[in-house]
Amino acid sequence: MFRRDSPDEAAFRTEVRTWLEANLTPALRGRTNRPPPAELMPWYRTLSRKGWIAPHWPKKHGGMGATLNEQIIMTEELARVGAPQLPAQGLNHIGPILIEFGTEAQKVKHLPPITAGTVIWAQGYSEPGAGSDLASLTTRATLEGDHFVVQGQKIWTTWAHHSDWMFALVRTDPLAQPRLAGISFLLLDLHSPGTTIRPIRTIAGDDEFSEVFFDNVVVPKENLVGKLNDGWRIANTLLGHERLGTSNPQYALIALDRIKTMARASGVMADPAFQDRLAAASINVTALSALFSHAVELTNLQRSPGPEASMIKIFGSELLQSLNDLLIEAAGSQASLEKPITTDFGTVDVSTPFLQVRRATIYGGSSEIQRNIIARRVLNLPQ
Amino acid sequence: MDVHLTAEQILLRDSAAKFIAAAGPKVARASRGRPPSFAPGRLRQVGELGWLSMLVPSSADGPALGLTELALVLEQAGRGLVCEPIGLAIIATAALAQGHAPHPILRRAMRGDALVVPALQESAHDPLALRTQATGDRAPRLTGTKMSVCADGADGFLVSARGVDGPALYYVPRDGAGVSVATTPTVDGRTLATVELKDAPADLVPARQSSRSAVEALTDLALIALSAELLGVMEGAQELTLEYLRVRKQFGKPIGSFQALQHKAVDIYIKTETVRSLLYQVAAANDPYRIDPELAVAVKAKASEDALVVTQSCIQLHGAIGFTDEHDIGLYLKRAMLLSSLFGNAAAQRRRYIELTEMKV
Repeated sequence: MFRRDSPDEAAFRTEVRTWLEANLTPALRGRTNRPPPAELMPWYRTLSRKGWIAPHWPKKHGGMGATLNEQIIMTEELARVGAPQLPAQGLNHIGPILIEFGTEAQKVKHLPPITAGTVIWAQGYSEPGAGSDLASLTTRATLEGDHFVVQGQKIWTTWAHHSDWMFALVRTDPLAQPRLAGISFLLLDLHSPGTTIRPIRTIAGDDEFSEVFFDNVVVPKENLVGKLNDGWRIANTLLGHERLGTSNPQYALIALDRIKTMARASGVMADPAFQDRLAAASINVTALSALFSHAVELTNLQRSPGPEASMIKIFGSELLQSLNDLLIEAAGSQASLEKPITTDFGTVDVSTPFLQVRRATIYGGSSEIQRNIIARRVLNLPQ
Repeated sequence: MDVHLTAEQILLRDSAAKFIAAAGPKVARASRGRPPSFAPGRLRQVGELGWLSMLVPSSADGPALGLTELALVLEQAGRGLVCEPIGLAIIATAALAQGHAPHPILRRAMRGDALVVPALQESAHDPLALRTQATGDRAPRLTGTKMSVCADGADGFLVSARGVDGPALYYVPRDGAGVSVATTPTVDGRTLATVELKDAPADLVPARQSSRSAVEALTDLALIALSAELLGVMEGAQELTLEYLRVRKQFGKPIGSFQALQHKAVDIYIKTETVRSLLYQVAAANDPYRIDPELAVAVKAKASEDALVVTQSCIQLHGAIGFTDEHDIGLYLKRAMLLSSLFGNAAAQRRRYIELTEMKV
């Protein structure tokens, strides 16, 4: 809406759009849940063969070396065609972390399988006793000679039951003060003996995440990323980019379209009270586009928005929720139907996105934690 | 988030901030209820700085600056609760400067020697409602009633009316025949006027060839100008409130250390920053004479609603002192009430947005 493609970018957009239209099978389009690996990974590998699986990675590591604008174009075109969400832990988290902090051996071993789509990664941060207070995590990694012994539990681990590897924050110094100074960043082979994975069903009806138990799991010492007890810094370094990526207004625009379709089908579009709320929501989507484009502009100028990225995450995720409130309102008495609703204006899945979007204000640091961050680091309010 | 600006724009913003530092709540408070509620000398100073003519195209000897510059100056004006109607004066010179032979009042308006303000509104809820009629081709005369006009100290009005070729803009001198102005005080110590025109002689203001309709172009420009001032009001109120949260102690601690208040402060911050991003992204992407109406309406809707929410929250965060006339925070709420209501409040903007985006069926 605000960003304009340069001629080169416009050509790139056309190329991406044309290719996606020709190569993404209809069965994978417009899915409100992430399809299982058997369906999804062939698409992942198709993108990989095209060389488009990792737009933000440098070329020498198998990425596209794309500019930020090209990455955004890619995201927008994938969203526009209704492409399913790929498993992102390898591409967006451990990949960039290893590129920045990994040893040569770690890069050689782990990066190619991520871009090839032959290995799936999971993120092991949260624990039953360490959610918002992540620094209190207790999964223990004890160094014994040339290996660590890991004992503990991770939870809310997206796709763990489909994953081969996990990057995890583990406690390597139980006495450290502050507590975050005793945390290390470790790579764990989920096929190791002593590892148990149990899927957890979500309110949206899928089993997107799991809990993972480690019972004296042996992890080679060379799987440590960065220095011992420096894991907190490593995990937090690249968060700003992630928050920006998940706030792309394209998702809100898709939600808006879904509401309009449902509202036209159910007749509520003619109600002035509904129109007013839809107008307010639509204006907020425009505002999100402005926030996003503003942040991209600053990032391109090497003036990364930093903790202010938290603001975009809050605004974007809360907006997505209010859009889905309108969606179930538009559906009226059909709001609670489990399956997509067939109408004269198209098929609309109402309950799944409404339930799915609950997680947007929880994962990656809840809205309340984001507000704490802004209060302290941006507004300089006292402790 | 910082807005990305050129070196010239930074200079302009800084000189606006410096000029406006001399204003602030104290001056705004002192000028309450004393018409004209601003200092004509200060308006001339603004004219000398060149700001009143900032949008005037080079064909009329103006610098032809853009909406970003307009927003930078007016944001500071709102932040300092400036009483001089700088925004309305700027958009009036922009409108007067259209066409081949600009109206003679333009020169004086550019210098700040004369104040011209828009008189467009006829309905409290529909800023584009237009019943005022213009008759006579060569020497037009206007008949109709305009409301919510910031007539304080104005020497003339830019009036919308229906002529033979549809809606058009006219210049009407305040002391002209058939013009009567009735003022009513507003909460922030200024006035709004009803301007009655009975067969009042007027001069047609020619439309710029590139613009859609001069009336709609001026309305959309007004929406951006008011929104910029509202952003400044939000900022000023926020600054005052954050300072209070740091120094006011209860339960032995600064109240800004309490999470309930911190989160309310963050919501104020998010609203302010969202309006900032929206305003400046729209400003960067639009020409002053052809603003995308959907975006102008979106900005004013958001700024009007959020400025009221923010200034109300700021009073709440101050507690009882915030409810006193003695404290300045109330001045920001009152300014927000005025600016958010003019040229269509948030709900009125949303109604136009629904029309523009065909959200109906």
